[in-house]
Amino acid sequence: MKEEREADIVRKVLLGDVQAFGLLVREYQRPVYNLMIRMVGDEDKAADLAQDAFTRAYDKLESFKPGRRFFPWLYSVSLNIARDWLRADGRDRLVFVEDASVMARQEDTPDEQDTLHARLDGAKAFDIVLTLDPKYREALILRYRYDFTMQEIARTLETSVSGAKMRISRGLDMVRQKFDGGVI
Amino acid sequence: MTDEQKKIYTEDVIIQSIRTSPGTDVPEGFAERVMQGLEPRRPSVWKRLRLWLIRPQVMTFRPMTVIPAVTLAMALIALAVINNDTPAPDRTAAMTSVRFVLHDAGQQARNVSVIGSFNKWRAERSVMWYDPEARAWVLEAKLPPGDHEYLFLVNGRELVPDPQAPMTRDDGFGNRNSILFVNGDDEQAL
Repeated sequence: MKEEREADIVRKVLLGDVQAFGLLVREYQRPVYNLMIRMVGDEDKAADLAQDAFTRAYDKLESFKPGRRFFPWLYSVSLNIARDWLRADGRDRLVFVEDASVMARQEDTPDEQDTLHARLDGAKAFDIVLTLDPKYREALILRYRYDFTMQEIARTLETSVSGAKMRISRGLDMVRQKFDGGVI
Repeated sequence: MTDEQKKIYTEDVIIQSIRTSPGTDVPEGFAERVMQGLEPRRPSVWKRLRLWLIRPQVMTFRPMTVIPAVTLAMALIALAVINNDTPAPDRTAAMTSVRFVLHDAGQQARNVSVIGSFNKWRAERSVMWYDPEARAWVLEAKLPPGDHEYLFLVNGRELVPDPQAPMTRDDGFGNRNSILFVNGDDEQAL
């Protein structure tokens, strides 16, 4: 079991084996770095923030609960690093704050042929995902790329399970509407 | 294509794009830079003791010490069975044989699994095998009566509803799960 292996690595780190932490860094450096790129849009800054995220995770390692998966906990730590930077930089767009309702903008309905081409273009679909508000974008990525459970998504994004479900459902709706004018 | 079919198809494309988008490579030497900035911890004696106590335990047994304990345990179980007048329900008798089939004439897929409510959506529990005569991926399983939701997981990443399933259900997240009804009578093939 991966969780058991990671719990054992965490235990070794807490006992003073700093090199054991390198296993976790190498395992998760790519998703953490890519999260930071999505959050700040600059590769150099993303690398700095990803390093800060691992450093903070190392410092806070005692608060990790061994029975759980390490990656969702690390993702949560990383998101907080990104949020702190956005706030300090004056770029905080109230990301991750629940709003009462989301009204996705109605696009002009493209003609049938354009719609078909757009549908077949997965790269375009992901480009649209990247334009979403982070609370919807990250919910979709956690669910469909990293296979987080609803409970893990809720904990990571600091919302309820029903809030996590709502974000995934609305996120999909918003991307779909940009594709084809919103057949709901 | 109906509006509902368009919606399902578009969401499949979106989900697939999220699963497969390559992302950006980490800068060279990133992990080394992270590690250079970390100081080894110096846990207190109490902390060491606590971590030692919660470490994973490896237990070994010598046969001569285990035999008396096992004998006693078996005797107690036998006593409980004898004293129990009500026979336990035979779960296996209520199970129905089911055959999942996903046609793949050219064997395009590298591997296929069935994931569903009956195996907690765990792919490793229901790996299908390729039948060259049927030119399809096949899995036989025994399921209890009731309705079961399932999907095919192709190449470990692509979720495919069963084209032959008579019904599907919206899972609330933009996916359609196939539905299998097991009535407990006789074998069902899909």
